[in-house]
Amino acid sequence: MLRNILFYIKEAFLSTKKNGIMSLATMISLTAALIIVGMFLLISFNINLFMDNIESELLAIAYLKDNLSEEEIKQLVQDTTELEGVKEVKYISKEDAFQKLKEDLTEHEEILAGIPENPLPSSIEILVTETTYLQEIAFQLNQYGGIEEVNYGGQLTEKLIALFDFIRKTGLAMIFILVFIATLIMFSVIKISVHSRQQEIEIMSLVGATSWFIRWPFIIEGFLKGFLSSILSAFILIRTYFYYLDKIKIILPFIPILSDHVVLFKITLIIVLLGTLIGIFGSMFSLRKISYEEI
Amino acid sequence: MIRMFHVFKIFPNKIHALWDVNIHIKKGEFVFLVGPTGAGKTTFLKLVYRGTLPSKGQVIVDGVNLSRLKPTLIPYLRREIGVVFQDFKLLYDRNVFENVAFSLRVVGTKNSTIKQEVNDILNLMGLSNKKNANPHLLSGGEQQKLCIARAVVSHPLILLTDEPTGNLDPETSWEIMKLLFKINIRGTTVIVASHDKLMVDRAQKRVIRIEQGEIMSDTQKGFYKK
Repeated sequence: MLRNILFYIKEAFLSTKKNGIMSLATMISLTAALIIVGMFLLISFNINLFMDNIESELLAIAYLKDNLSEEEIKQLVQDTTELEGVKEVKYISKEDAFQKLKEDLTEHEEILAGIPENPLPSSIEILVTETTYLQEIAFQLNQYGGIEEVNYGGQLTEKLIALFDFIRKTGLAMIFILVFIATLIMFSVIKISVHSRQQEIEIMSLVGATSWFIRWPFIIEGFLKGFLSSILSAFILIRTYFYYLDKIKIILPFIPILSDHVVLFKITLIIVLLGTLIGIFGSMFSLRKISYEEI
Repeated sequence: MIRMFHVFKIFPNKIHALWDVNIHIKKGEFVFLVGPTGAGKTTFLKLVYRGTLPSKGQVIVDGVNLSRLKPTLIPYLRREIGVVFQDFKLLYDRNVFENVAFSLRVVGTKNSTIKQEVNDILNLMGLSNKKNANPHLLSGGEQQKLCIARAVVSHPLILLTDEPTGNLDPETSWEIMKLLFKINIRGTTVIVASHDKLMVDRAQKRVIRIEQGEIMSDTQKGFYKK
């Protein structure tokens, strides 16, 4: 068994070497395809993260005037809670708001350095059940004298959700198309490899090698090409992602961007698994039938 | 060892390669298959190693009816049959030793056995001193010997050779014939498809003559043409 496995691996390497340029071209194409697949995966995961954030923030924020008494605030919160479509109302004092800003900007403390005192107003955050209520609630709140301004995402949130949903679906379709194309590339390359080793295959089948014995070196060849390409593409993808992640974090510190190592590891794993499977199945399709006849 | 009963082989373009062939070749026999190019000699050999199936009739090799042989069992039949082609079919990216060893490796033979068997057969073929050479560097006769070595290294019951002396000068051809006799003496049934009149007449073995797919004559100690 081990003897056979060593033979398969040796033959697989020999074949890769024999079709050097072709092997290189395949691996480059496969790497490129996998990088694009990976990009769509990253975009999709990031959109999920972003949507989780905005969906959980079906939120209107009413900024309060500084001169409100505690009693007035209490009454305001009470009245707001009773409005239609309101799920939850939360009062955020000036101090809480400033504290939260400090936490958000821990990496950019210099921004706050020049501010002598707390410039933020106190506010109430109103979580609504559906985006459709936002406009009406905002209108009602604006009738109160103690409210400076009401902000809400509203239509923009809805449009963003629709847009991201579209991007996600397009991405998924692109992934399917790319995986199909990559499998076709692998299929054709192994076909060429089989063709260039026709003599060996003929001899193998003449001297009594079983069809699986003939197939294994090609399957291993496909596996190796798929595996190496996927490792390479995962490496390029993750390195590039982290490079831009740092830049984006500096430019847009408030946008949530995927940087969870466990999730990124999962994406790497998906790419490696995908590349390897493309390699193996591409080879298997091109070797469906080893003919013992007409040699 | 080999029996054919009313074997017909008709190709899709209606050309009949073999027509009602009945033959019995016993274990250990040495048989020449003669006839002009296109007579059906190669098809005859293909039928024996199950390179093709008859359109009609039965081919029985070592007690196995090849029409009923499952495709998955073909490799095991082939391990009992050595085949040598006129066009050598050598692997030019491997040396002489590896070319012979290849046919043992693909049936999972142990490395130590491979070394022993390959060295023995290269010795018999007079190729021991060239075992590290690339087949490109060998003469036509030597390449043919290498093909024979590869075909018989696993001690097959039957050796089929298709025009083994086709491209060789008479002296080298006779050398190849002598090697085939040696292999035959070791117990292997040998079938040589040939139109090399000189060789056939000199060998004085059983001669089966095929013309246009039909067996015209079958003589012990025969000649190329009666």
